[in-house]
Amino acid sequence: MSKGKIVSIHSFRGGTGKSNTTANLAAQAALAGKRVGIVDTDIQSPGIHVLFGLDENKMGKTLNDFLHGKCAIREVALNIGEHAFDAEGRSKLKGKDIWLLPSSIRGREISQIIREGYDVNRLNEGFQTIIKDLNLDYLFIDTHPGLNEETLLSIAISDILIIILRPDSQDFQGTAVTVDIARSLDIPNLILMANKAVPKYDFADIKKQIEETYHAPVAGVLPLSFDLADNASKDLFSLRFPDHEWSKALRGVANAILAVK
Amino acid sequence: MSENISSQLKKSFLFRGLPEEALTAVAQKVSARNLAEGDVLMRKGEAGNSLFMVDDGWFKIVTQDASGGELIINKTGPGETIGEMALLDQAPRSATVVAISPAKVFELKQDAFQEILNQRPDVALALIRGFSSRLRFSTTYIQKAIDWSQKIAAGDYGFIENTQQILKGSESDDDKATQLLSAFFQMVRSVKAREDDLKQQLEKLTLEIDEARRKQEFEDLTSTDFYANLKEQAKQLRAKRMASENEE
Repeated sequence: MSKGKIVSIHSFRGGTGKSNTTANLAAQAALAGKRVGIVDTDIQSPGIHVLFGLDENKMGKTLNDFLHGKCAIREVALNIGEHAFDAEGRSKLKGKDIWLLPSSIRGREISQIIREGYDVNRLNEGFQTIIKDLNLDYLFIDTHPGLNEETLLSIAISDILIIILRPDSQDFQGTAVTVDIARSLDIPNLILMANKAVPKYDFADIKKQIEETYHAPVAGVLPLSFDLADNASKDLFSLRFPDHEWSKALRGVANAILAVK
Repeated sequence: MSENISSQLKKSFLFRGLPEEALTAVAQKVSARNLAEGDVLMRKGEAGNSLFMVDDGWFKIVTQDASGGELIINKTGPGETIGEMALLDQAPRSATVVAISPAKVFELKQDAFQEILNQRPDVALALIRGFSSRLRFSTTYIQKAIDWSQKIAAGDYGFIENTQQILKGSESDDDKATQLLSAFFQMVRSVKAREDDLKQQLEKLTLEIDEARRKQEFEDLTSTDFYANLKEQAKQLRAKRMASENEE
């Protein structure tokens, strides 16, 4: 494969476990030997850096700097395979080809970009450039929930769109619109994933209902887990607890992504 | 009169095993009492010193619930005995018994009962057998009830079908143990039905979509210039990437 694939992870509403899922999916792809980049485009409420053990001090240049023309996109990418061995799960990424492009977590910079907006085309160019610069197999994009312009752009340029939903009626309704948009934008690969499913439900039935409703494959139904909540974003859960039910189901989704030609 | 009483005595578990002439001896010691509807036969907490056999009419056995209201724990009618334990242990009455229709009972007072026991060791022995067989019966089912309770707690309801066939063979319909078991099985069936119902509700977690709203929201999002432009850009981008991929 000569060209890297853009994998956008989206959910209609917040709280679906999107950032956590994105980080774990990217980590699984890196473990499988792929060259992986992760962009946090949830500029308004960035969070994925925490899962990789980054704080303000460890962050260098951010996506905000790139969007404001202060640096090249390559300068934003932080090699996780060379850093972040402070937790048991993350340490498994040692020597892997995985880069994180974080958003700024400085309040002033966040409010600035919300106020002034940014050029979505520049963001798009950044994606294409970083894929080329780092010779990525996959660029995972953690999107902002909802369907604002930046998110629509991330969806529009995706080769693979992962939509995460919780099995509840609000998510179900919102996801329907997202699916329609994805079809309208001719996204080549649409994959659904249910997260935070209450374990007493019949997961096979949830999968069936979602697939019948959206006419798209569900790559996994991941359980609501106290263990995961207890991990509190301190580590990459699927690497730290590979035998957990959530981790097993997540690997199913990762495999669905890796299987896309 | 005493023949009628004898035949009544014969129906009760306590005197069932007695020979005819012993029954007659007991029958001579009892006295008949008529009650109107609403009359109280005994009150909870009173000293118990006699046993009653119901000849005619019906009684409710009541106690008080936590908030002081009347709680009917059982109903009893012709052929059944009330308060028999008091003859042996003289403990206070454990419940209040009230006639719910005009009724007639035979009363056997404790001193008369004592007299029979003193005079007739064979009768005493037969009564002890009656009590002990009842106790054994109850103990067996208490043991089973414990076993079943543990199964219910573990969510295993499989015993209901098998066990009920055995219970149907039981002839002692008047027995309290059978009543308890009947209530117990009724409870288990209700619990199981409720659980099944709940399970079905969970499995049928209905995720419905308002199609009109879906359509409206889609139109709102896609009717902008931004969207049209985005769609066109995405299309071009994809074509460009496809082309460069084919080149390589």
